[in-house]
Amino acid sequence: MGRRVSLKLRSRIGYVDLVHEVAEDLARGAHFPKPAALNIGLAVREAFINAIKHGNNMDAAKIVQVEFEQNADHFRVRVRDQGPGFDWTRTTDPREGDNIFRTSGRGIFFMKHFVDRVAFQHCRGGMEVVLEKRLEPVGRSGQALRRRKG
Amino acid sequence: MKASARHHGNVTVLDLSGKITIGEGDLRLREAVSALLEEGRLRIVLNLQGVSYMDSAGIGELVACYKRARDKGAVLKLLNPSGKVQDLLVLTRLQEIFEIFRDEREALTSF
Repeated sequence: MGRRVSLKLRSRIGYVDLVHEVAEDLARGAHFPKPAALNIGLAVREAFINAIKHGNNMDAAKIVQVEFEQNADHFRVRVRDQGPGFDWTRTTDPREGDNIFRTSGRGIFFMKHFVDRVAFQHCRGGMEVVLEKRLEPVGRSGQALRRRKG
Repeated sequence: MKASARHHGNVTVLDLSGKITIGEGDLRLREAVSALLEEGRLRIVLNLQGVSYMDSAGIGELVACYKRARDKGAVLKLLNPSGKVQDLLVLTRLQEIFEIFRDEREALTSF
């Protein structure tokens, strides 16, 4: 049985740093090295921003739930909003052609880059984004061990 | 995020520090660059040395500043992006549209 931490927050940009900090702290607690923990923090940050802006349409009365869960293999984060959802299959690569000059549209790209798996699914009353990062094996000192190839 | 401007002849270096992220940093960057453009500053170097990280909103604002400058006939260049910020510029391929310098003197004389 892994441990679980859950946050229920109103849709306010002011909570973004808090969610990022909690994500990064929990990732460090799961023995991810600092750069990987920062990447997890950034991915969760983008998912939370996405939920506030595009999910809950900046409606502060609506809630975003963030659930952190760690088991033997994975660090998993679920970010749930209360919005109607969007077609995540229609997102474009922000690096392609004129997209590079777009001033938005990089959030999902960052999420996909910073964790191992990103999934979008409709859930009861909203939309859920699942972010998953594989845990590295940990040595006795608490330091993450490198995975052997092959 | 903090921003302060230094003028070297007709080139302005905008020293930035902190985080360029949604809600505060991105707005301050927009205000600082817009103020320089309003003053008629056409050669601007954004010194990113003190910027610890950016999120998608910060990156988006950087692109918006680039476009705003271009539309006013100004040129915006970058100086010394830190490790994480440099990673994001490479990841988003924005290093292909921005001129990026490691040496301030070189940036100043590049216009």
